[in-house]
Amino acid sequence: MNRFALAALTVAAAAVLITFPLWSSGWESSRYATTILRDMLVLAILALSLDLLVGSAGLPSLGHAAFFGAGAYGAAIVAQRLGNDDLLLGLGAAVGASALLALVIGLFAVRAAGIFFLMLTLAFAQMVFAVAFQAVDLTGGSNGLAGVHRPQLLGLDFNGPDALFELVASLFVLVVLILWRVRSSTYGRALVGLRENERRMRALGYDTTRLKLSAFVVAGALAGIGGALSGWSLRFVSTNDVGIPRSIEAFVSVLIGGTGSLLGPAIGAVVVLYVERVLPSSIPFAETVLGLMFIVFVALARQGIVGLGRAAYRRVRA
Amino acid sequence: MVQQALNGISFGALLFILAAGLSLIFGMMDVVNLAHGGFYMLGAYVALTVVQRTGQFWLGLLLAPLLVGALGLAIEPLLLRRLRGRHLDQVLLTIGISLVIGDLIGLVAGREIRSLPFPAGLDHSVPIMGGDYPVYRLFVIAFGIALAVLFAFVHRRSRIGALIRAGVDDAPMLAALGVDIDRLFATTFGVGAALAAVAGVIAAPVFGVFPGMDVDALIYSLIVVVVGGLGTLSGAIAGGALVGPADTFGKVLFPQFALALIFAIVAFVLLLRPTGLLGRVRIAR
Repeated sequence: MNRFALAALTVAAAAVLITFPLWSSGWESSRYATTILRDMLVLAILALSLDLLVGSAGLPSLGHAAFFGAGAYGAAIVAQRLGNDDLLLGLGAAVGASALLALVIGLFAVRAAGIFFLMLTLAFAQMVFAVAFQAVDLTGGSNGLAGVHRPQLLGLDFNGPDALFELVASLFVLVVLILWRVRSSTYGRALVGLRENERRMRALGYDTTRLKLSAFVVAGALAGIGGALSGWSLRFVSTNDVGIPRSIEAFVSVLIGGTGSLLGPAIGAVVVLYVERVLPSSIPFAETVLGLMFIVFVALARQGIVGLGRAAYRRVRA
Repeated sequence: MVQQALNGISFGALLFILAAGLSLIFGMMDVVNLAHGGFYMLGAYVALTVVQRTGQFWLGLLLAPLLVGALGLAIEPLLLRRLRGRHLDQVLLTIGISLVIGDLIGLVAGREIRSLPFPAGLDHSVPIMGGDYPVYRLFVIAFGIALAVLFAFVHRRSRIGALIRAGVDDAPMLAALGVDIDRLFATTFGVGAALAAVAGVIAAPVFGVFPGMDVDALIYSLIVVVVGGLGTLSGAIAGGALVGPADTFGKVLFPQFALALIFAIVAFVLLLRPTGLLGRVRIAR
């Protein structure tokens, strides 16, 4: 496929996605589908940002919800305190809070590797959870922040469910484009080099610690966008947004979908949210299904759904 | 003050029991078992069921580790063995196991908070230093110390202990010497799981039985092994002895910052000594 065709296809796919509430409005369950798809996209943003660490740089972070939560709290608290629902202000607060937090945590975390990186990110995220839980004046503690205002921009009001969906979908597309740009750049290639052979990258003259830290901050900032969208979607921010289950949800999405691609984590997020939100109405042990799926993918198909798809495609063509 | 000190020590003893299994598994297999909290919770629920049926706390304390240990014994060859050498994937696999255990328990036993009554004979208080103190917490201290002494003896004096020490030092070499390493790993995982279950039963009368207890237990056991040192018995003892009182006093003295404080300690220990205060100097990737 040449560049033009790819660009045209991307624009078309983005347009189809963003206008989902319009063309699905005839369906009986359009409202429900819109809500589910909206939440899938929010989780996909979190999973995609995590995959920049897991897939590209080979950094298995089990505390990514900390930055999601920082974005959610950041956007909600700033809007609440300033009494201003401006979209750019909210997004700026979310990205600023999550990037700053990622910088602080990253300074420590990126010095460790492998299992120790995993435990360190888990410990730091739990620390953030503890702060969110106990700083009742700021975060509402265990009650959370209810009644979060949805944002507006230049007279555009994102309060309605369709408008909000369009906002979420647009920002999802933006995040995908940013990550696509990052991955195809020299910087993105350097991150992959980090995963493949850190020692060699250092020998080539790369400052690997700085490389890892910058990836950690970028991934954190993008997760913060997801967090802000989550707060606006649910009109609610709570310690659930910074807890371990949310980090695990993102990690499971990345691994089920397949690491190291833009499609994988998004597909994984769709599968995970389907199992968590739609499946429970028919079977009561949905979480078990998710756990078993995760086990099967880790043990037998580490390349994820995307990897399986690629292998099948290759076999059909051969 | 004396009460708080005793509370801290009894919490530390519980943490030691909880962390010993996690540390054993890591020392031998280089796997951080993130299903450890799941095994802990399963132990508590098995004991709850036994107590509801028979009223026998001690039977629960016996059956829970047996059942959970058998589960661990089955999981190692079925799942973890396939991924031997891929430590990170093994760790991820245990996340899946913990999801399944947590959900199935909620499905079978319900999702409300339950309590396990104190066992008969340990359900009263005794006067200590001018205040009443619950006997059960003293029992937890004694139980933890007894277990530590037993472990130390097994570790130093028995053939199993020699195998464990050798396996922690260099498992491939042990296999090359003709030891059945598959059996050793399966046994290790089973014993580690059983220890988590023991901790779950012991903790149940004090902290209750509820969904989410698995995450709490996992976090605390990780804290203890990280602070004390992964993979060594003395590390689990030191971690328990340090974190139990620190957590208890932290909550009394600075209730606002206690949680964050503990994690800050963990982060700094990990940074300065990635293998913990008394850990081995080998970093698995």
